Amino acid sequence: MDNDHFMRFMASWALVHETADEGWKAAVERGSAQIEGDMAVGPEAFVDGLSAMIAEEKERLKASLASDQVEPSGSRADVAGHLDLLTFEVSELRGRLESMQASLDALLDQSDDSGK
Amino acid sequence: MSARGRHIATVAGKRFLFGLWYARFGLASASARRAAFARQTRFACEELGPAFIKLGQLASVRPDIFSAEAVFELERLQDSVPPVPIERIRRAIHGEFGQDADALFDEFEDVPVASASIAQVHRARLKAAYRPVFGAPMAAGTAIAIKVVRPGATDDIRSDIELAHRWLRWIPRFGLLARIDLEAFLGEFEVTLRSETDLRNEGRVAERFAFDVRDDELVLVPRVVWTRTTRRVLTMEFVEGWRLTELTDAERDGVDARALAIHGADVFMRQVLVLGRYHADLHPANLFVTPDSRICYLDFGIVGITLPAQRIAIAQVLAATVYGDADRAVRYSRELGLEIPTSQEAAVRDRVAALMNRTLRRPGQRADVRGFAIGFLSMLADFKIAVPVGYGLLIKALVTVEGVAQAIYPDIDITQTARPFATRLIAQEMLRPGRINAKAPEMLRAAMRVLSE
Ligand SMILES: Nc1ncnc2c1ncn2[C@@H]1O[C@H](COP(=O)(O)OP(=O)(O)O)[C@@H](O)[C@H]1O
Repeated sequence: MDNDHFMRFMASWALVHETADEGWKAAVERGSAQIEGDMAVGPEAFVDGLSAMIAEEKERLKASLASDQVEPSGSRADVAGHLDLLTFEVSELRGRLESMQASLDALLDQSDDSGK
Repeated sequence: MSARGRHIATVAGKRFLFGLWYARFGLASASARRAAFARQTRFACEELGPAFIKLGQLASVRPDIFSAEAVFELERLQDSVPPVPIERIRRAIHGEFGQDADALFDEFEDVPVASASIAQVHRARLKAAYRPVFGAPMAAGTAIAIKVVRPGATDDIRSDIELAHRWLRWIPRFGLLARIDLEAFLGEFEVTLRSETDLRNEGRVAERFAFDVRDDELVLVPRVVWTRTTRRVLTMEFVEGWRLTELTDAERDGVDARALAIHGADVFMRQVLVLGRYHADLHPANLFVTPDSRICYLDFGIVGITLPAQRIAIAQVLAATVYGDADRAVRYSRELGLEIPTSQEAAVRDRVAALMNRTLRRPGQRADVRGFAIGFLSMLADFKIAVPVGYGLLIKALVTVEGVAQAIYPDIDITQTARPFATRLIAQEMLRPGRINAKAPEMLRAAMRVLSE
């Protein structure tokens, strides 16, 4: 998962769980209060900072959902991903065939020799 | 006893005596004693040839079975042996393809580029253009590396293993090495060997890896020429560059060594923590730095697998290590299958904390992950806590990352570069992206509902 995707998933999570999680809200608050560099202090601080970043992303997501410009989630990227993988796998099979052909040629050559 | 059997016994005996000497006949500390024997074991393996070199290499990624000292010593095994005479290589190539090397390749070079225990590598050029499975097309005349399994290598190794099996039946009678299931280890070794002597496996793993890291322009994986590849011959793109083990300052100046070192560490962690497939025997000698500042991966012998459920705990342990957080390290080590008795937990935590202070959090000095790993594993040995396989690999992996990165850029502090990675994964765990992933469309629908209310 690349970073953008990651942030989007997080943001959609946050969006849905907005009212549910007090710990999360507290983390966002602490994170928003951080100044630059604070995030690198330790894991807890990092999570706080990240939470704040996700909260920002959430606001953006909310806005874009409201303005109705979103694609049906991920589907296009998903298809592209599957297509890549399938193309690769077909190509991989071709590689196997080529290698088997090379071995077969050697065997044919040997049986020619022994036939002579 | 066969002549080979006698030779092995002589070398082992001599090395054992040397070990005794260096271990001051038992007067040295336990760890120094283990280190002395480990070093002699390495020399013995190098002296005894391919089967033992391979065996040692496999042992070096198994801290769950062997002592920390042995593991980190065996990692230094030199896998370089005298070359096979060229006529035998040419005959092997003919046997595989039914044609001579000169009919298959242009400018086939008789002097090998490298000669290792299993295979020997020769340089040549492609006769005709080739479209590889993955990556850009290769033009006729492209420089290629031809890796040929040493004729007879498998037979020699097989018969050495037979010998070892026979000897192993004696060892338990002396009560040595009780904890170790050497028979099982040998069995595993045979499986590894079988797959390593079928070079098509290596080609496939290489291509998978190339596909996995396709969006990463700094990583180079040699393209495989399948029309010139069989069980015993692997033909691939020839990579110009320097092995990490022979990188000099002049070469470091020519490339962006620091960025490359950080990137190398990132790629590895991405393999372990995100892709779930990683080089388990990654070694500075198997990595090249190219003149255009890329990292090239060679040798895809042993591939480790991490399951999604493990990755999160691994990330936690990793984060604990890079932040020097003993409590977290112990907690999540448990999740990875480390069985620490409750009665010993406090003692273990204290030892880990002290070790972290000594190795990872030294004021004004860069962290020493290797020192930490060795200390950690010997601590487990002291408490008689068994090391799960996956956990051992993880610890080795961390050390490997450090070794590789420092080979590129000696001053790098790996714990600094690992921080963003580890912390991102912790955040991921906190927010459970796995679940979100599965439910995303539904959640977006829910989000829509919320917004339209
Ligand atoms: N594609 C390649 N381009 C350039 N050199 C190569 C290539 N493949 C192998 N070599 C050389 O051969 C050596 C041994 O190759 P490797 O694949 O590591 O064999 P082994 O698995 O027997 O250790 C490498 O360290 C490198 O020097």
